[in-house]
Amino acid sequence: MPERIPDRRQSLASRLLKPQFVMVYATIGIFILIYCYGAVRFGDIGFTTLRTFVNMFKDNSYYGISAVGMTMVLITGGIDLSVASVACLTGMIVAYGTSVLGYHPAVCMLVALVVGVGIGLLQGAAIHYLGVPPFITTLAGNFLARGVCSLISRESISVSHPMIDALAGWKWYFKKYADGEWVKIKPIAFINVNLLVFLLMIVIGTYILHRTKFGRNIYAIGGNEQSARLMGLPVGRTKVLVYGFNGFCSVLAGLAYLLEVKSGWNLALNGGELEAISCAVIGGTLLTGGVGYMIGTLFGVLLKSVIPALITFNGTLLSWWGKIATGGLLALFIVIQRIVVTVSERKRDAKKKASPS
Amino acid sequence: MPEQNLLEMKGIEIQFPGVKALDKVDFSLRAGEIHALLGENGAGKSTLVKCLTGVHHMDAGTILFDGKEIKPTSPQDAFSMGISTVYQEINLCPNLTVAENIFVGRQPMKHGMINWKEINKRAQELMSRFHMDIDVTRPLNNYSTAIQQMVSIARAVDIDAKILILDEPTSSLDDNEVKLLFDVMNELKAEGMGIIFITHFLDQVFAVCDRLTILRNGSLVGTFNIQDITKLELVTMMIGKDMDVIFNLKRAEVAPDAPEMLSTKDLGTPGKIQNVNISIKKGELMGFAGLLGSGRTETAELIFGAVAATEGTETVNGKQVTIAKPIDAINAKLAFCPEDRKRDGIIGDLSIRENIALALQARRGFMHPISMQEQNELANKYIKLLSIATPNAEKKIGELSGGNQQKVILARWMATQPDLLILDEPTRGIDIGAKAEIQRLMLEMCGEGVSVIFISSELDEIIRCSNRIVVMRDRKKVGEVNGEGCSQQTILNVIANGMQEGETA
Repeated sequence: MPERIPDRRQSLASRLLKPQFVMVYATIGIFILIYCYGAVRFGDIGFTTLRTFVNMFKDNSYYGISAVGMTMVLITGGIDLSVASVACLTGMIVAYGTSVLGYHPAVCMLVALVVGVGIGLLQGAAIHYLGVPPFITTLAGNFLARGVCSLISRESISVSHPMIDALAGWKWYFKKYADGEWVKIKPIAFINVNLLVFLLMIVIGTYILHRTKFGRNIYAIGGNEQSARLMGLPVGRTKVLVYGFNGFCSVLAGLAYLLEVKSGWNLALNGGELEAISCAVIGGTLLTGGVGYMIGTLFGVLLKSVIPALITFNGTLLSWWGKIATGGLLALFIVIQRIVVTVSERKRDAKKKASPS
Repeated sequence: MPEQNLLEMKGIEIQFPGVKALDKVDFSLRAGEIHALLGENGAGKSTLVKCLTGVHHMDAGTILFDGKEIKPTSPQDAFSMGISTVYQEINLCPNLTVAENIFVGRQPMKHGMINWKEINKRAQELMSRFHMDIDVTRPLNNYSTAIQQMVSIARAVDIDAKILILDEPTSSLDDNEVKLLFDVMNELKAEGMGIIFITHFLDQVFAVCDRLTILRNGSLVGTFNIQDITKLELVTMMIGKDMDVIFNLKRAEVAPDAPEMLSTKDLGTPGKIQNVNISIKKGELMGFAGLLGSGRTETAELIFGAVAATEGTETVNGKQVTIAKPIDAINAKLAFCPEDRKRDGIIGDLSIRENIALALQARRGFMHPISMQEQNELANKYIKLLSIATPNAEKKIGELSGGNQQKVILARWMATQPDLLILDEPTRGIDIGAKAEIQRLMLEMCGEGVSVIFISSELDEIIRCSNRIVVMRDRKKVGEVNGEGCSQQTILNVIANGMQEGETA
C-alpha cells in the first residue's frame, strides 16, 4: 500500500476507503458478521474457542495454498483449471514413489515439484506464445494430469514413511502459564505444518504482489496487457512465471493434502480448482483481471471454513447446506463486484464529462 | 546552417503483405527541435514511427541515432536507447495508480522491495512540473482522458529520453490542455530533447513546430521549415489533390415543403437531459454545436433510445413512437454512430463484412439471416462506395486506420437505409482527406432524402455542412440558427449569451 507523503495527500481514512479495497472490506465484514453470529448463537458450546478459530485456517489450508497462486493468475486476467489435478498428481507421485517404488519421499516430492512447476510453465508458454485461451489450455492440463493420476494407479495408495508421519504429526500446541508451568489450553488448539505453509504462502504472495516488480507487472498485465507491452514490461516472461508459480502452489497444496489424508488417490480433490478460484473471487479478486489482494484471499478461505463450522455446531443441518451457503455467497460477491465496478465507472464517466472545457 | 542531426533515418522501406507501407523514406530530427510528421491516414506516419520504436522491422534502410547505427527490436529496446513514445490511445493501466503508471517497470527499489514512498514523491513532483495538481496515489481511471494523456507523457519524459514521439496526443484534449501540453513540449525542447509530433490539427503544427515532414502513400513528399510553407500548400501536398473538393461542399437543399421526419416534444430523462424539442425535415442536415459536455451526445442518445426517455414524446414520419431501446429506433429507421467508435462502435475482432452487416441483421432479426452472398455484396459495395482502404472485406476492422473504421461504421448504418442518421463526432481523430469524404457522404445521403444529425466540436465543419444548427449549453438547447450565412462568431455568441427572444438568426 502507498505510504504517506506530504502535500495534498488525503486523510488516512479516505486513503483506506479507496474503491479498490471495497471488496476486501466486504469479505472481511461478512466474515466478522458470520463469526459474530456464531459466537452469539453457539458461544456456549465452544464456537468462540481458539480451537475453532485455528481450525478454520487448518480445514481448508490446502485450498488456501492453491488460492495464493490462483489469485495471481486471476489478477493477470487468466484462469487455471489444472491446479486440483496437479495437486492430485503430486499426491500420486509421492504415494506411488514411496510406497510402491520405495524411494525416499523427499526425492518423490522433488520429482513432483519439477512435474508441477513444469506443467505450469508449459501452460503459461502455451497461453502466451501460442495464444491459446487460458481456460482451454488449463482445462487440457487438468484432464492430462488427472489422466496420468489414473494411469499411475486407480486404487488409493496409502503412504507410510517416517518422514511423512513426522511432518503430518508435527504440532505446536497453544499453552498457557498456570500453577508455575506451561500447560496446553483446553480445548486443545494447535498449529500444524499445513497451517504454517498456508500463512507463509499468504505472506510470500503479498510480498510478491506488492513489493516486487514481478508482482506489479502482474497487475499491469491484468489492467491492460497491450499497454503493459507498450510500456516495455516483460509480459511474456511474467505470464509464464505466474503459471509456473501457480504450479508450485498446486504441488504444495497436493503435499498438504497428502499430509492430511496420508494417501494418494486418483480422484482426490476432484473439482478443487473451483474451490481455489472461489476463495480468490470471494476475497475480491476480479475475474476480469487487474484487481485482487492476498489478504482478501485469506479471508475468502476463512469464509469458506466458517460456514461448515457453523453447520457442524448447529448439528441438525446437513453438510450440503455448506455448499448452498457457499454458492449463495459467491453469487452475492459477484453481484457486489458488478455493482462496485458499475458505480465507479459511472462516477468516472460523470467526472470525465464534467471536467473538460 | 549545418546542425548535428540527433536522428537520421535513411531509405526506410517496409513491405506489408500486398502493400508497400514505406518506400525509401528519409527523416531527420535535430536535438531541441519539434518536428511534425504529417500525412493522411495510411500515409505511413505510424509505420515510420513504429519502425523507430522497434514494432515493425525494416526491409531496407538505416537508422542513425547520435551518429551510431541502431536496430531497435522492440518498444522496450527503443525505450532503453532513449526513444520514448506516447500513443494516441492511452497506453497505461487503468487499475494502477497514477504514480505507479509512471514508474512501473523501473520502480526504485530499497532493501529488495519496491520503494513506494519514493515513487509517490517523484510522481507528485513530476506532475506538478506539468502543473497538474492531482493525487498521484489514486488509480488512473479516476481521472479524465486529458490527465491520463499527461500521465503518459510524464512517463515518457521521466526517463533519460532523447527522442520523444507524440502520436496524435491532442485528439482528446481541449484548448487549455493543448496549451499546457505545448508549454511542456517547449520546455522539453529547450532542454535539448528532439520531439516528433504527429497530429492532424494543422493549426497546432504551425503553433509549435520547427520543421515538418510530409508523407503520402508511403512515400516522402518533403521536409520543410515551418516559415517556408503555407497551410494551403501543406494541405495540398498532404492529400495530393485539389482542395476545392473539400471547400466547395454544397449544403443539402431542402424543399420548403419537405415533410417533417422527426420531432420531439419535451423529451427527457431527469438527471440526464430534459426538455428536448427539435424538429428535422426530410433530407435536412442538422448540426449540434456546443462545448464538450453540453448535452449533444445525451440528446442523440435520448432520440435513439440508448438512454430511455421517461417523459415527452417522439414523432417519426408523423407517427408518435415509443423508443425505449436502440432496437426500437432501428426498427423506426433511425441510425446512430456513437462518439467513441472504439468502445461503442466497432467490434475489433470481426471482419469489415461482419461489422457492416451487423445493424441490418439486428433489424431483420436473427430468424432471417443475411446470406453470405448478400453480405459480400453489401461489404464490397460499401468498400467501393466509401473507398475504404483495405485489401478485402475479410480484414479485421481493428486493423484499419481510424478514418477507415469510421467509414465502416457509416456503411453499417447506410446499409440499413435509415431515414435519420445520427453521427456523433464522426470526424474526430481522422485526417482532412477522410474528413472531407465523410462530409461529402453525409451530404450525398441528405440529397437522397435521408435526414442527418451531425454532432461535432469543430464549428467550421458544422457550419459548412448544416442546414440548421442547434446550439447547446449546460445540457439545454440554447438556440437554433440557420447554417447559411452563419459564422463561428454567431454560434459562440449563442453559446455565451443564449438566443435573444424572437431572434431567428
